[in-house]
Amino acid sequence: MNQSAIVDHEFVIAAYIVTWVIQLSYLAWLGLKWRAQKRGAARLKGGRR
Amino acid sequence: MIWGFYQAMYVAPNDANQGEISRILYYHVPSWAVTFTFFAVSFISSIGFLASRRGHAERAQMFDAWALAGAEVGVVFCTVGLTTGPIWARRAWGIWWTWDPRLTTTLVLWLIYVSYLLLRRFAAGPQMQTLAAVLGIFGALDVPIVYMSNRWWRTMHPAPVFGGAPGSGMAPSMLHPFLWNLLAWFAWGIMILFIRYSVERHRQNIAAQEADAALHETSSI
Repeated sequence: MNQSAIVDHEFVIAAYIVTWVIQLSYLAWLGLKWRAQKRGAARLKGGRR
Repeated sequence: MIWGFYQAMYVAPNDANQGEISRILYYHVPSWAVTFTFFAVSFISSIGFLASRRGHAERAQMFDAWALAGAEVGVVFCTVGLTTGPIWARRAWGIWWTWDPRLTTTLVLWLIYVSYLLLRRFAAGPQMQTLAAVLGIFGALDVPIVYMSNRWWRTMHPAPVFGGAPGSGMAPSMLHPFLWNLLAWFAWGIMILFIRYSVERHRQNIAAQEADAALHETSSI
């Protein structure tokens, strides 16, 4: 494998990692948002009693 | 997704001109396909919201949630496209970015939908959803401009692979991995879209319950 092919490979890996970091970060953020909302809903229910 | 990754990394051949760097295509192009589809979802839902906001409150809220979900998940995929593109460009063109029509109109598209999300985040009052719907409709008008930009203007971005000039297309050995990744990213995107829609509907229900509770407290004083 020549030097250029190695750099190409590193760039491909970088692009794939960036893609997954963005996607999984967003999914994690959605999970946190969902959990916060569930807590808010439980508090609202508790407040009504 | 794993099968798609395997196909992209180990099964697909290197491009004859670009070599291994062309494997970014298997993540880059599907991201744009999902972006455009979800901005279309936001566009149609925004129209649905405006059409049903008087007289069909519940339906309007559903449309509003779909519009938000489409725009937000679309921005996520758009961000992926806007980051994988420059990584590819750095090796293929020797530069990270250039202000050519395809890249510039794409950046404008991203900025429009980010402003849509900022509007939804920071604006308050009953007009917010209506303003967001109008912005969602105007934002989607940039999608065909982005799509057609490398047909209408001379650009550094490669000519369309599908539906481009005569002779355009993809070799079957590359098409199969590409279709796998396209399918996988659509499946992933639809899953996230439904999750985002559910979260927004849940938030709407809580907001409605809070409003009811506040009204109940006021009337009991």
